[in-house]
Amino acid sequence: MIFDKPDSVELLDAVNHFLNEKIKDEVPPHLAFKLRIVENVLNIVSREIALGEKLSDEVIKDLRELIESDTANIKDLALLIKEEKLDLQNEDLKNLLVKLSKNKITIDNPNYSTYKKLVD
Amino acid sequence: MNQELGNLLSKKLDSESINGEIINLEPLTGGASKEIWKFEVKLKDKSEKYILRRGSGIEGPLAIKTSDEAQIQKTVRKLGALVPEIISVSSLSEPLGDSYIMKFVEGETIARKILRDAEYKNALQNLAFECGESIAKIHQADIAEFSFLPKKTVKEQLSDLYETYTLFNQPSPVFEYTYLWLKEQNFGEIDDALVHGDFRLGNIIVSQDGLQSIIDWELAHVGNPLQDLGWICGNSWRFGNTDKVVGGFGNLEDLLDGYNSVSKYQVDAETVKAWQVFGTFRWGVICLIQASAHLNGTINSVEKAAIGRRVSETEIDIVDLLFLGGR
Repeated sequence: MIFDKPDSVELLDAVNHFLNEKIKDEVPPHLAFKLRIVENVLNIVSREIALGEKLSDEVIKDLRELIESDTANIKDLALLIKEEKLDLQNEDLKNLLVKLSKNKITIDNPNYSTYKKLVD
Repeated sequence: MNQELGNLLSKKLDSESINGEIINLEPLTGGASKEIWKFEVKLKDKSEKYILRRGSGIEGPLAIKTSDEAQIQKTVRKLGALVPEIISVSSLSEPLGDSYIMKFVEGETIARKILRDAEYKNALQNLAFECGESIAKIHQADIAEFSFLPKKTVKEQLSDLYETYTLFNQPSPVFEYTYLWLKEQNFGEIDDALVHGDFRLGNIIVSQDGLQSIIDWELAHVGNPLQDLGWICGNSWRFGNTDKVVGGFGNLEDLLDGYNSVSKYQVDAETVKAWQVFGTFRWGVICLIQASAHLNGTINSVEKAAIGRRVSETEIDIVDLLFLGGR
């Protein structure tokens, strides 16, 4: 990257800090609720920049192994399931769907109860 | 205060012979799709509290008109169901728009407060039973009264949800798997009934004394009513209390005891599980619908944008239920 510091994650952290420390107590209740959503959104973006590629690659690697293809992606897997071209009882398929779901929620909401339960 | 809205409310209430100054008009944090306002009418010697619920006139694919919600509340109230009294209904063509005014019911709707605050601790003990009972009472309403509501078999609902999901062109391996799984399930052989469609914390009013009122009938329809039992068991509606299967506060046994104490049809846990997966898939599709309103430019809303990234919550819940022994 040719860009100076702070990097994108650091910039988002600064915005988040500003919202939390300076703005949160200044807004009326119905906007405080929306402000929390805004903070969540910034955190998603921040986690996706930091971890998104790795978590995505992990799933694609397993997916390509399972369906023995060098180019397959999520759309292909969805289609193979839809057309019942995969054995739905296959444990590797089930494990792949678990991993896909876990990796997505790691970015979207790592505080989500089911994720925390499964990771513990 | 929003003067213009106050004037509209005043005129509407005049027509119901409620004449007084509108005071303390304030927006409440409501659902993502409706405006909700609380206000008081100052009468000679006292003031009365009311709620205005107002739709935009544009319903999502699963939602009904706000004025139709009012009609349902009127009808089920006559049967003794716990719903707020409707004072006045406005159609889309009137100045107030597609909306209704109902009496304010004391209590709390915010799930996290109900689950966390000490004052509700006793109420929570019996709440799952009370919810089961109330759901069963709603299901006893005569569906002939609801000819204005959409009527769907489980199969039709499932294929509607699936088709809606495919419209967004965002293929999900988990949803494809779920759809195939759901097509094989037994959802219970029960007569069609009025389905609330969104019965959970957030849409019920709870006081220290327990369940007070059932609100937010936006997703009501006629069909297999057991959907309401599976819906409130979805992990999305446990608000972090994942070990309390019913709404984050109760046990499935208590919910079913409450339901079966009123209903002729006796429900078992396995049927509820099928509905739980159905409900989780349905919530996932609703998240897609909400996010699409932002994505296609209908409205610019950070709330609706954010909800698109909640689809993954439903996927992890489904794989937990189907593969990992989740309840």
